[in-house]
Amino acid sequence: MVIDFSAFYDLPRQIDRFFDEFWKPNVISQRRASYPPINITEDQANIYVTAEIPGMDIDDLEITLTDGSVVIKGNRKADNGNYYRQERPTGVFQRVINLNVPIDADKVKAKMKDGLLEIVLPKADEAKPKKISIEAE
Amino acid sequence: MTQEVIKKETNTLPRFAPNTDIIEREDGFHIYMDLPGVSKDDLTIDLKENELQVSARAVYPKRENVNNIHLEFGDSEYVRNFTISDIVDRQNIKATLKNGVLELFLPKAEKAKPRKIEIQAE
Repeated sequence: MVIDFSAFYDLPRQIDRFFDEFWKPNVISQRRASYPPINITEDQANIYVTAEIPGMDIDDLEITLTDGSVVIKGNRKADNGNYYRQERPTGVFQRVINLNVPIDADKVKAKMKDGLLEIVLPKADEAKPKKISIEAE
Repeated sequence: MTQEVIKKETNTLPRFAPNTDIIEREDGFHIYMDLPGVSKDDLTIDLKENELQVSARAVYPKRENVNNIHLEFGDSEYVRNFTISDIVDRQNIKATLKNGVLELFLPKAEKAKPRKIEIQAE
């Protein structure tokens, strides 16, 4: 039996990649798995979604809040010229983030700085924890 | 040895080679590098002879008292080296950082630019 390890099946690189994945910190769950990479954090009042989208203005992005999810859409265009190397992702991308919490849609804010998008989604009142005072008799 | 020293200095942030495009146009070479979260103060560009090194740190602002739900990226360090050929005019290399993308413009030296040769008809 012949096993063909041709360039198409780049074994040394596969092994390198396996070890690279292995050494990555545990908190980073799936870096570079889908575009753009996102982080989601929350506190009692808000959900924060951050995404690394270098090279784009906030006007180039379409951020929509549908029932129960946020969608980030955009298109990274390639420059013209004679390419020696092309590693930056280009083309249309879309990321859907499911939120299992009701959101106050009118107060959602988004800003961009240094290629980093941050969306602040305030939780609706019914989703915030409430203190109920119990009167003891 | 130098690798070890570098690692100690940077508090062992995960290191990545930034995604890079290299494009040649008539005026010279344009290098575009994705450096999300990097501001001007955290970027270093060194040119030693014909070695150009770009190094940067992306340290994201932290919010207090938040719970992490899902993380795909974090603080990191970017390093990339380029070897520059002799046709580049080193005195006039320009760098601009905008929206987390670094653009390096390496103009071609006059002697390397394509020229039209006039043909004299007799």
